[in-house]
This record gives sequence, structure tokens and C-alpha cells, in this order.
Amino acid sequence: MTLFDSTVTTTCGYCGVGCRLEAHVRDERVVSISPALDGPANEGHTCLKGRFAHQFSRNRERLTTPLIRDTRGADPRPATWDEAIERIVTELTRIRSAHGPDAIAGLASSRATNEDCYAMQRMMRAAIGTNNIDNCSRVCHSPTSYALRKALGLSGATGSFSDFDHADATILIGANPTEGHPVVGARIKQATLRGMQLVTIDPRRIELADYGVLHLSPRPGTNAAVMLGIAHVVERDRFVDRAFVDARTEGFDALLELLPAYAPDAVEAITGVPAADVEAAAHIYAEAANACFSWGLGVTEHKYGSEVVQLICNVALMTGKIGRPGSALLPLRGQNNVQGSSDMGALPDTYTAYRSVEDEDVARSFEAAWGVPLSRSKGLTIPQMFDTAVAGDLKAMYIFGEDVAQTDPNTAHVVKALESLDFLVCQDIFETETTRYADVILPASSFLEKSGTFTNAERRVQLVAAAIDPPGEAHTDFEIIKAISRALGHELDWSDPADAMDEIAALTPDWAGISHERLGRHGLQWPVAPDGTDAPILYEREFTREGGRAHFAALPYKAPGDAADDEFPLILVTGRRLQHYNAGTMTRRTANIELMDADVLEIHPDDAARLWIADGDRISVRSRMGRIELPAQVTDRIERGHVFTTFHFPETRTNLLVGASADVNTSCPEYKVIAVDVRPIGERASKTPALAGGA
Amino acid sequence: MRVVIDGVAVSVPDGATVLDAARATGRWVPTLCFDERQAAFGACRACMVGVEGAPGGAPLPACTTPCRDGMTVDTEDPTARRVATAVVELVLSELPEPPAPHTELAQVAAALGVGEPRWPGETHAPEPPDTRHPYLAFRHELCISCGRCVRACDEVQGTFALTATGRGFHANVAAGLDEGFRASACVSCGACADTCPTDAITEVSLLGMMEVSA
Repeated sequence: MTLFDSTVTTTCGYCGVGCRLEAHVRDERVVSISPALDGPANEGHTCLKGRFAHQFSRNRERLTTPLIRDTRGADPRPATWDEAIERIVTELTRIRSAHGPDAIAGLASSRATNEDCYAMQRMMRAAIGTNNIDNCSRVCHSPTSYALRKALGLSGATGSFSDFDHADATILIGANPTEGHPVVGARIKQATLRGMQLVTIDPRRIELADYGVLHLSPRPGTNAAVMLGIAHVVERDRFVDRAFVDARTEGFDALLELLPAYAPDAVEAITGVPAADVEAAAHIYAEAANACFSWGLGVTEHKYGSEVVQLICNVALMTGKIGRPGSALLPLRGQNNVQGSSDMGALPDTYTAYRSVEDEDVARSFEAAWGVPLSRSKGLTIPQMFDTAVAGDLKAMYIFGEDVAQTDPNTAHVVKALESLDFLVCQDIFETETTRYADVILPASSFLEKSGTFTNAERRVQLVAAAIDPPGEAHTDFEIIKAISRALGHELDWSDPADAMDEIAALTPDWAGISHERLGRHGLQWPVAPDGTDAPILYEREFTREGGRAHFAALPYKAPGDAADDEFPLILVTGRRLQHYNAGTMTRRTANIELMDADVLEIHPDDAARLWIADGDRISVRSRMGRIELPAQVTDRIERGHVFTTFHFPETRTNLLVGASADVNTSCPEYKVIAVDVRPIGERASKTPALAGGA
Repeated sequence: MRVVIDGVAVSVPDGATVLDAARATGRWVPTLCFDERQAAFGACRACMVGVEGAPGGAPLPACTTPCRDGMTVDTEDPTARRVATAVVELVLSELPEPPAPHTELAQVAAALGVGEPRWPGETHAPEPPDTRHPYLAFRHELCISCGRCVRACDEVQGTFALTATGRGFHANVAAGLDEGFRASACVSCGACADTCPTDAITEVSLLGMMEVSA
């Protein structure tokens, strides 16, 4: 009665929504995927990526054997696991003896499971002896994590996606969920069709703007002024929930001193958003009985991204809209396990659950469990790793599941850093732009081939189950990291990922009640008490800060790191599209390529006309950092003065354009504000009229 | 409130339908146009049940009949079951071939004991699947006009790319202005294929397997 040999319920490996999927297998291949009807985040729905983009798992370009590159620049040759591991251990041991453990750095992956990331950080800390471990949430939501901890206490959404179903209004900032998080996009759309008032804030007129009651298009990099303007109106028009502010927060007076400078007129001057729209947005949010904020990388990937998240928290705290159904702060985490990889301590400054490496008690608990002395000094963040490599002080990197040469900013600098290393290990499912520089490449497994857990954007830890085996000689990441750590002399003594989770639970109070067995079909939202009680809603009674009070941040607007000028008159914003996922390593190897086969540059018809660019023309885009070529798409979804593109295709190399400017608190790169010069190919570079300021 | 389903009392929340109550007691009621992700539609009449005290003693559709306190329901009421069986038999009578065994339609027909339809009449002519989209295929001749795909696109996804077309025997479904999935507003989420009870909308990659297993 079925077309399939077996069906496995697992969790999607694309975005951070955390859809539960049924993976259907026939002849040892995943042939179809359907949504699990009881998935808490997706409720029987899924998207183009989760449902259809699975053929990559048996693509013939999959890495199926370890590869060793004997000479830099040469083609790598197939090798046995024994040979590859021996090479890694020999080189890492040599470098550690000669230069110390801090000459080695590792990257865990927000694509991998919690157990993989936990194993990776334990290997770096215990087997190598360094805190030089980071993960790709550095370049997306580290500002969210930082700001939520500062303002409220815990690094995670305060509620669940179901809060959209109970909200009377939502402000969505710097996110395009119908493309980046399609199942949540559909959920928000359905909520608006039922009457939820949606305010969208984005330099582009995203699809959901058509379903909302109000759309604001601030100039890129001016979100802080918009949030301060909304706070100003909330205070001026007496929407402040005084009882909540008095009983549950601190620092409100400092914010009050700041607000007079952000009257709607002043905000209009900074952001270009009409004063009346700032007032309307504030009223829609404040007058709603229950309202949510939701945001994405359009908030975080800025020089002051972490400050904007704190300013969003301010507005929620002023109005007391937090800690109950329908009133939540819901960051849309980019990758499937951005939340979990950081929760697991794959960060240079924290162990699991964001406990500092400098905290003596915490460090001792891990030393006792792992039986080795551990460093008390913070390690390097990803951008610092590259800087240190170029300076010659970082000698080796172990990069697991991240294509830094395509996705990290300032590509030329990243490549220089990779070339400067004495030794580079990459662990991935395909050869990537980054593996070109690797000395050893280890064939790993996709989410369809491994077991463990992912943590979604609702803090929901959900089981991942293998539907098929890794191809050829490829292994699961968990087994690979265990093997390398053992060879380095530190045994990760777990029989399977469930075992590793038991260790995580034993060493992490917020995860104390989590076990694979307890997660079952619906997962659990951390913090989870020892008896298994989880936390769909945070901060119902108190905040997780000393004294139980939330903190208002009195932070003024500051200009972004880059600005348009005569030479670079347009502002480029980068992002994602529905059909592809980040570096495109997976989706480019599926039929999604038939639906979208190239990055394009969105440009407003007025700008296009002035620059003599027609739809489909191949154009040149030049920033202070580099130059790329791609086709133009003329559309009024984007404002005058701004252009937009994606980074899905390696042949485009969009990140050549992005500079070193980064969030002041977390070094998350400023992918969203890049001054560029755009012109038809063939035209000589010369000054063109300034277009950005006057838009 | 409490209702009695096939002699078993069950407590249900306000707003629950007879179908909800039947499922809560573990009783099976045949459905074709129902999908728990969508608002009840009441179009196919396969879910007919007997309700004590119903006007004229006529069967009622379980999916759109709200429970009332003290209601007594017979899911295997002979009249209701005869109506449901005839409905499914009529649906099958328009198809060019018996539904593939893995489909919901085939399973409902089997459970009701409907075999080869007794009505000769016209059947839809088989046509090559419309595979202009890389993932989603139309097999229009298998459409039974249950409307689940259209409602999935509206109520689950919110893209409104699908439309019911034609009338009577010619009733079917189309993407956009019958231009195929790819040229329409479709965002390729697959909710339509997921809900389709007959393979009228299915996955391109499964087409080959169906021939093997048929």
C-alpha cells in the first residue's frame, strides 16, 4: 500500500524553523519527503527546500572518501581514513608543540547537530587545549544572542511561532520569511488573513508587506533610529505599562533621557521613513492587546546590530508585551541549528548554555567531567581567526561544515588567511570554495544520514533520525570527530549521540531534563527542568538576570559602517531567496536550479534608467573591497538608491564586495550596508551622479 | 459537552464536530475532501453518519456537523453508509483506471468495499502527466474535485495559486490561468501534492514508481 521501503520522522536541515519531516526511502535513497502532521513548528506544512531539495544527498559530487592534498594548489588524492587521521594528528600535534594550542582553531557548524557541535567544542577544548572554537552563528545571529542575554537573560526567542496565531499585531523587521523561512512566512500570512495587523520594516518591499497594514522602508543601517522613534511615540502617547516597568525592569530612566531626541520628524530625517508612519507603527504595536516582534539578519548583520536588538527589547518591555501567549520576541534564526550550535558552547567565550570560560566553577565542572585541565582565557572569533592567520600566529584550522570562502565577508582576506595556514582540515559533504585550500578533506554526512538533535528558533530541541546511510566511505560527523579526538589522545567516550546528550544534560542546568528518549516526536523547549518540564514561554514571572529584572538599553542611533558617496552612490543589501539556501551547496545540486539558476541584482527602475541598465543586462557591481558581475533585475520591490542580491552561487562571489565592518559587540559582519557603484559592463569606471542620499 | 459515538460516551470541547468526536473515540469515518489542516468543507459527502433526532432521519456530514450536548451518533448507520458508498462509487466511475493502491481514495474505497463501479458512462481520458514543473506534476484525469489542493494553497500556504475550473464532469483544478505550476504564482511548497487523495497532483519523482507498483 505504500511506494516506500521505509519512512523516518526527522527534523529539517535547512532553515531555523525546525519543520518535522517524514523522509520516505526506497532502494536506499530518500525519494520523497512530506511534512509530519504533528510537527509543532510546521503543523503539517513544509516548503520547497525541506520537501523537495533532497536529491543532493545522492549527488555524484558527494565526497565519498577522505582526500589529501600533498602539494598546495594540486588536485587532492583519495586516501584511507587511517592515512587522513594520521596526517591530521601528526600536523596538529607538531603545530601544538611548536606554537602552542592557541595556534589551532576549529569551526563547528550551525548545520550540524547539537551532539556534533558539542563533540567538536570538547575536542578543541580538551584534546587540543584551546578555546579557539566558533560557529557560523557568528556571522548571522550572534547579535541577537548577545542582546537578548543583556536585556532579558537567556539567548533565545521568548515564545514560540504559535504566538503569531495569538497576536493582534506583529512588527517584522529585517526579515523576509516567505523566502528565508517559508513555513513561518506562511504562518504570518495566514495570521494577517485572519486579521493580525502586520507592520513590515525592510529596505525592500517584501512579499509580506502586501499583506500588512503598514510598510516602512528605512535607509539600510538606520533600524536603531526607527526603534527609538517607536519608543518615543510609545512614551509620548502614554502607552508605557508603568506597573510592568516598575515591577520587572531596570534602567528605564536612562532610556527616557534619550528619547526626546527621537521625535518622529527627527527619525524621518535619519531614516527616510515618514514621521506619520513611525507614529502609526508605534500605535499599532502599543494598542494591540498582544503583539510580537520578529526579526532576521536585516537587524543583526549591521555595525550596531546587537544594539538594535536591545532597542527592540526596549519597546517590548515598555509596553509589557512579553512573557505571555501572543506577546513574544521571535528572532528568525537562519540555519537549522544556529540556536543549538551556540547553546552547545561552540563559541570562544562560553561553555554550554552561554556560561563563560572565565567562570571558575563552570570550568572546574567540565575539567572534572573530561579529566583534563582547561583554558580560562577566551578564544578567537571567526573574524579574529582570519586576522590572526594572516598575521601568522594562527597555524592550523579545522573547519567543519562551513564554506567560509564563499559566505564570510571580505572574501579576499579570508582566502589570504586560508592560504597563510600551515594546515587546514575541512569536513564537509561536497568540495566547496573553502576545500580548495584544505590539506585534508573529510567526507561527512548530511542531515538525512545522521542522528542527534537540532534546536530551532523557538529553543525547541528536536530529534534528527538517519533515513539513509552516508554514501561510500563517508561517515557521520559525530563518528569522525570521535575518531580524531581519540587519535589526539582524548577519548569521547559516548556510544551514540544519545549518550552525548546525557553528558550535556548532566553538565548543563538548563538542559538537565533533556534526553533523546524524552524528546519524543515533539521535542522540548529549553530550559528543561530535571523532571522534563519545558518552557514554551520565557519570563512569565521574572527575567533570568540578577534580581530578576529586565534591562533597558539607552543606546543612541549611530551611523552604519559604510555610506554612499560620489564614487559608490548605491547601497547594496544582501540576502536569500526561496529557491536556494545560503552557499547553495545543497540546493544548487537539486532541481531547484531549474527554478532559479543565478544570483541577480535587484535595482529600482529609476536607478536602472539613469544608469542605462535594462532588465537582464549583465552589470558590474563594485564596492570599496572588490568587484563582481551578474545580471540585473529591474523591480520596484527595492527602493531608489538601494540594490539587493544574494550569495547562493560561487561564480558570483557576492562576498568579495563585503568589507570588514562588523557588529561592535559580536563581530557579526555588516552584510547589509555596502556602498557600491553599479554600471553596465563595458562602461569605463567614472563618477556618476549621487543617487543614494536623495532617495 | 458529552456525545455518544457508537455507544461510547466521549467528552469534546465546544466547537468540535461529529468527525472530531468520532476520531476522538477511535472510530473511523470515511472522508475524501477533509484534511485536518484545513477548515471543514463538507463537499464530498463521504463522511455521512446517522444522528439520532436529525430532521427526517436523514444522514448528516460528520465533518461540518457541530456536536451538541447529549448527541447520539451512529457512524455505521445503514442509510448513511449506503450514501457514502454510492458517493465513492460515483467518484470512481469517472476515473480512467482504478486508483493506485497507495492513494487515500483507494484506501477509502477498499474500506467501504467499493469495487469496480457499476455505472458505465464516460470516464476521463488518460493524458500524459503535466511535468513542466521540476517537482510537481498534474494528472488531471485523476482529479475528483475535492478542492483540497486549492484550500491547501489558500489556507495552509497562502499563495492562492490554484483554482477550481470547469463544471460537472469537466470540473478540475488549474494553476494560475491553467498555465502550469511553474508559470503560475506557485511557490513550490508541495502542500497540494501532500493533500491530494488521488495523485491528480503528485511529485514528478514518484511518477515512475507508480507505474512499477501499479
